[in-house]
Amino acid sequence: MTNTVRALRMVAVGLLLGAAATAAQAADDTYVALVPGGPHPYFAAWEQAGQDAAKEFGLEGADYRVPPKWELSQQNQLLESLLTQGYNGFLVFPGDPVGGNGVVSELVEQGAPVIATAGCLKQPTDASFCLGTDTGNSAYLGTQELIKRMGGKGKIAHFTGFLVDPNTQLRIDAVNKAAEEAGDDVEVVQVIADIDAPEPAEEKINAYLAAHGDEVDGIVTTAWIPAVVSANALRKIGDKRIKMVGIDHDEVVLQAIKDGFVDGTMLQNPYGQGYIGTFAIDRLRSGCTVKEDAPFASTALTDQFIDSGTAFVDASGVDNYVGAMQAVTKEIMSDFEDKYLTCE
Amino acid sequence: MQPASSLPVAPARPASTASFVRAGFLGGNEFGLIVLIAAFAILFTLATKGFASPFNLFTLGRTMGIDILIGFSMMVVIVSGGLNLAVGAIGVCAVMAAGYTMERLGFSWPLGLAACLLVGAALGAVNGEAITRSGVHSFIITLATMSIFFGGMVFLSRAEAFRELPPAITAFGKMRLFGVLSPLLLVAVATALVLGWLYRFTALGRRMLAAGSSPKAAEVSGIRVDRTIVACHVLSGILAALAGAMLTARHGAAIPSMAGHLGQDWLLPAFLAPVLGGTLLTGGRVSVLGTFLGAVLVSMLTNGLLLLRVGEFWVQAFLGLLLLAAVLLDLGRRRLLARHRIAV
Repeated sequence: MTNTVRALRMVAVGLLLGAAATAAQAADDTYVALVPGGPHPYFAAWEQAGQDAAKEFGLEGADYRVPPKWELSQQNQLLESLLTQGYNGFLVFPGDPVGGNGVVSELVEQGAPVIATAGCLKQPTDASFCLGTDTGNSAYLGTQELIKRMGGKGKIAHFTGFLVDPNTQLRIDAVNKAAEEAGDDVEVVQVIADIDAPEPAEEKINAYLAAHGDEVDGIVTTAWIPAVVSANALRKIGDKRIKMVGIDHDEVVLQAIKDGFVDGTMLQNPYGQGYIGTFAIDRLRSGCTVKEDAPFASTALTDQFIDSGTAFVDASGVDNYVGAMQAVTKEIMSDFEDKYLTCE
Repeated sequence: MQPASSLPVAPARPASTASFVRAGFLGGNEFGLIVLIAAFAILFTLATKGFASPFNLFTLGRTMGIDILIGFSMMVVIVSGGLNLAVGAIGVCAVMAAGYTMERLGFSWPLGLAACLLVGAALGAVNGEAITRSGVHSFIITLATMSIFFGGMVFLSRAEAFRELPPAITAFGKMRLFGVLSPLLLVAVATALVLGWLYRFTALGRRMLAAGSSPKAAEVSGIRVDRTIVACHVLSGILAALAGAMLTARHGAAIPSMAGHLGQDWLLPAFLAPVLGGTLLTGGRVSVLGTFLGAVLVSMLTNGLLLLRVGEFWVQAFLGLLLLAAVLLDLGRRRLLARHRIAV
């Protein structure tokens, strides 16, 4: 064997070892994708949350990747593509509580842990757990606040989100429950669902209020866009007789609270979901496992639920809503690993 | 019945295999599509991470299988000179009916599949009868039935998915043959063979082509054009139902939103595949292989663009541009061949 051939062999072996080392390194680095069900302002905070968590905890990256349409097939196709691209951990808002399980199982089988985030998958599922707002409880508390402001009696209209959203039915049930508990003087006279997009929300809410506004004493909204559209509608009507409790922290809703057209809003914690979820994915990839006796809560879909926090704010607390949710996130993070994970 | 050889659209047979290869194949859409598919496959393999990985090939094949069936469901109507805008609505209605029979009535999956295809055929027959009896263009009729079918399905199902399906259905959607091949793609291949046989070797298939090429001439030739058009729509309904069944296997649930609002998400793949493949929108000419390859190209471009990280929202725009470029290139290739006196 000539020296040239020996040298070439050594170079080849060196390259192979180098490539193997790089591959091993790449496999060890956590690279998280935060994938909502489709484009929606609620999830916008995930982008910053992922970046902050990646920087804080030394991850390779945490990217917010949005399916172009709110459709399960497109989300599945995107998730499969992201796995191929090298992402090895996922925070996923399931496009469907059961239909999303198939692709989640495939991701987990390929070694990428998944946390159902902001919405749960129906058990049995291969997702590690579900991290989100206890939507039923949030809608229940929000309706109770509304009923208080209506003086304990009156007719309520409920405007809510996509029927394919696993949370929507929970919200409808919770609003009805709070109204029933308030007695015969309170009645939910209308539920309008599938309107968490500008066009249907504008069309249906405005049409309803034009036709029946004088028959309604209170409005509860349990999805982002209907809250914005309702707040705008009440401002246009200019009549503060109708009480309203919204959801989330859109500027339109917050300003309407300050101006007295809306009585309050139920805050959720999308930033906290993205931040805590990204941290948890990294820990799971580092060898931690989910504790069998972790103090999970239960919902209609899963008994492995972690509440990412919710809070009601009215005019007195609206200026400090960011601080309120940061405090909630900090509190959850303080003992998250001890409560939910077992790490060597 | 007229002998097949006297039908107005019976293609003239090439004089020899060599001239067939030159005139028929090299000059046809199929060859252009094969070249494009090969070129993009090489490009994506070189330019992206993981395009040729077993996982990506498996998921890509699965997506292709469904897109091919959706393309076929439109193709079989286009050959008759008509359109079926209700393919998505029929597909969803059929699988929701199947879901009902399996989850609520306890049917086994073969019976559920039979119910699915039966409902697809019945809804296709409704379309066909409405078109032939009213004389109104299929565009208008199927635009109307798209809303009617979908609205009826939402009313009857209350937009609730059927999620407790037999495990065999989900297992089929996840099954991998030789580590890379999805059986859904094999279903599409088998369907293509059946359709190829139908159009090439059966009287019914030739009647369909004749009715699409020149309905008056076909009528004079003794073909019952009305019946033939109904048969095309029945076949379209069956293929749409089969596509829906494959999507159900993919998701593990029968979901009302699986084809988007009113089933409209299927329209783009439904039209792209046959038109790219060389099926004339005016009817009378069909290319089963071309439709198959057209769907393969569209699925591959979507997958490759996602892997190239062009941005999820740009994929649709890039897809449209690339497809336009593909069509123009194909046109240029034909002109070049014509200039060199090679018949197209």
